[in-house]
Amino acid sequence: MSLLAVRDLSKRFGGVNALTGVTFGVDEGDVLGIIGPNGAGKTTLLNCISGIYRPDAGDIRWNSASITGMAPYRIAHLGIGRTFQIVRPFPSMTVRENTAMGALFGRPHGHLQPPAALAEADEVLEVVGLGEKGHYPVLRLTVPDRKRLEVARALAMRPRLLLLDEVMAGLNDVEVEQALQMVRRVRESGVTIVLIEHVMKVIVGICNRALVLHFGRTLVEGPPAEVLKDRRVIEAYLGQRYARDLEPPPPDGEGNPR
Amino acid sequence: MSQFAQQVVLGLLLGGVYVAVALGFSLVWGILNIVNLAHGALVIVGSYITWDLFARLHIDPFLSLPVDALALFVIGYTLQRGVINRVIRAPLLFTFLLTFGINLVIVSLLLLIFTADFRSVTPSYSGSGLHLGSVIIPYIRLGGLVVALLLAGVLWAILNRTRIGAAILAVGADRDAAQLVGVDLRHIYALTFAIGAAFAGVAGGIISTFQSITPTAGDPYTLQAFAVVILGGLGRVSATIAGGLAFGLIEVLGQSAPGLGSGYANAIAFVVLVAVLVVRPRGLLGRLA
Amino acid sequence: MIVPLAYVVLAPLTSIDAAQQAGLPLLTDRLWFRIATTVAMFVVMASGWNIIGGLTGYASFGNIAFFGLGAYTVGVLVANRGWPFPLALLVAPALAALFALIVGLPLLRLRGHYFAVATLGVGVAVGEVINNTSQLGASTGLTLPIVRSDLLFFYLMLAAAGVAVLTTWIILRTRFGYGLLAIRENEEAAAVIGVNTTFYKVAAFCIAAALTGLAGGIFAQWSSFVNQENVFAISDNVQMILMAVVGGAGTVLGPVAGAIALELLIQTLAGGGSGAVYSQIGLGVLLAACVIFIPRGVIDFFGGRSRLSLRYFRRTLRETSV
Repeated sequence: MSLLAVRDLSKRFGGVNALTGVTFGVDEGDVLGIIGPNGAGKTTLLNCISGIYRPDAGDIRWNSASITGMAPYRIAHLGIGRTFQIVRPFPSMTVRENTAMGALFGRPHGHLQPPAALAEADEVLEVVGLGEKGHYPVLRLTVPDRKRLEVARALAMRPRLLLLDEVMAGLNDVEVEQALQMVRRVRESGVTIVLIEHVMKVIVGICNRALVLHFGRTLVEGPPAEVLKDRRVIEAYLGQRYARDLEPPPPDGEGNPR
Repeated sequence: MSQFAQQVVLGLLLGGVYVAVALGFSLVWGILNIVNLAHGALVIVGSYITWDLFARLHIDPFLSLPVDALALFVIGYTLQRGVINRVIRAPLLFTFLLTFGINLVIVSLLLLIFTADFRSVTPSYSGSGLHLGSVIIPYIRLGGLVVALLLAGVLWAILNRTRIGAAILAVGADRDAAQLVGVDLRHIYALTFAIGAAFAGVAGGIISTFQSITPTAGDPYTLQAFAVVILGGLGRVSATIAGGLAFGLIEVLGQSAPGLGSGYANAIAFVVLVAVLVVRPRGLLGRLA
Repeated sequence: MIVPLAYVVLAPLTSIDAAQQAGLPLLTDRLWFRIATTVAMFVVMASGWNIIGGLTGYASFGNIAFFGLGAYTVGVLVANRGWPFPLALLVAPALAALFALIVGLPLLRLRGHYFAVATLGVGVAVGEVINNTSQLGASTGLTLPIVRSDLLFFYLMLAAAGVAVLTTWIILRTRFGYGLLAIRENEEAAAVIGVNTTFYKVAAFCIAAALTGLAGGIFAQWSSFVNQENVFAISDNVQMILMAVVGGAGTVLGPVAGAIALELLIQTLAGGGSGAVYSQIGLGVLLAACVIFIPRGVIDFFGGRSRLSLRYFRRTLRETSV
């Protein structure tokens, strides 16, 4: 039984079909990578799951119970956390306070009080690698650190499922490697992860499954290595000509490779 | 039945006034993202200029409209360039408070200069009107509607047929991109506000012909302009025309409803506003804001 | 700082006659009591606004509606129904909060401009409706039996001010306060980490309404007269926002500083001859100047973070000008 099951999801904006008939499942322990060219609908998908958008059709189920169209705060309480592609910290709070907010509001039962939440925040900050910077005002952080903060805040909620939206965007090679370590640590702590990424190194490096979206539809699904070699995927990203060029030529009439 | 027809006609004529009032307000809001709480005050300044010219020099109110436009243009340009430009990148609350403060100052200055006494402009054709069957169309009101539609046409022409208009639209669409292609932001901001103020002034001139004016008479017009823009939609001249006419109709028909009277002008505006925002935020003809 | 505080503390313990015999200045002055009570009243109103506007980031331009409703509640209950004042005073904030609940649910779904003007509309419309309702006195207003005691109302308003400031202080130390701040800073992020934004916003609005309604209720009996002009005054509406912003929106003591500073300034301007009109102009210019030069409020200078200097103004201007 899947932890998260998305069935036939559709979302329209005016004349644009952002998502059409998207169907997939996420099992506990998965690290699912969602890839696709820009505009494929990846962030829209995350927004539907986390409750920011209400889908026009289809169903989203969490542990078999429907969460389609639920208010975002209730979805958060069910154990689903997310980060935003363009980070959204709380500017007037410190790194520690920002993180503590996740602990303060993310638990469905037994609300923490501010002092306890702040203590939790310290632990989480260690996991993401911001342990030394807890007292920094947010505006003082570099871009990679702000992304870490996004993750920290979501982690402090103690989610069962974490949705990461392009956490690697804008990072150089070294930073990507560090971020990859961080995601591994998160996975090892028992959190199921769905991540949107453009950086293929990450998809291959950490995901056990990959899902390709194209123009709002699911194109291919499967192990990353296979998905990335799939002709349809190459065609979607690079166009037909490249897909043809990258394929081995068909054998000639006698069955001999040319 | 003819009573109803009369009400409809009056509603449309009043709607013309609202179109005139709302055009400038909508321009400033749409391009500069400023909800100008001093708009009503600018309107009333126009009314006073027209009244002054009428009372002292016996100039017909419709002939003094260009003077209103010019005077308010200058005032508006100065205000924007000198004062409002300084807070434009601050959070919305501050432009609000600023325009509110400007409103206070203008109204108080008017109180000092003209006192709170009610003034009216009564040209010789005040009482008479066109008779179409059993419906009477007062000349004053008809003139107002014609001017309003002319104003709308002028605004449309400025925005869509001149280089300056293109610059204004560019600034409204993307402030930074406009700068990158060489638009002088401060000047265009000031110009846009000035045009909005000029239109407010003309609207004020029209208003003075059928309403007694006093310094605080402009305040309801600000809220009503807001309701008109919400009702019609932001972003297009046609939207403001639709909103203005519709609002005029709602007000006239609403006030003739049993139990309500002329004291409910603001309440009606508010109810319309909230209803539209809750049910169809885009308004009648607007694009998504 | 000590001297005014001492007077405030001593005030409830003296009567004007006793103070006169002891030769204590100010405490013998009825005008001082009136001004001090007015300041306390604005502390309540500015703090109320601060909770919805400063902490939560939803700048309401119609809180005067709550003041007026609180005042009219006391007015109707005491003048028309003969209720004792203390009982009526308990109902006033409750009614205001109830109104905030009803109006808040649809309105708090709006953001920025829309919320501000929609609430402005409420403030104006409520006054207008009451002004046209004969059972509520229409334009003549309601007259309450006069209670002549400067001391009582000063003490009462001061207590209300204390409640207001204490409420703000408590909110900022609790989970609720953090939730409001989160909504102000980034509402969508707040929602996805589990803040029930609708509930929090409406709660903040109701608390603001209750405090403002309390002030209105006390005012009604203090002035013994209630009508649209004196309890739905647009100038009061602006003043409470101005005081919170000038003092420092989002802080506990900002509204207090703002109320004291501004009310004293207004009284000084109003005393200068042509009275009301000049004070209005002064208010408008002051508002403009504060918004342009000190957007974060006066309290910014007291926290040690900034100093009153030309450089401060230049920096502020650069941040917000085009």
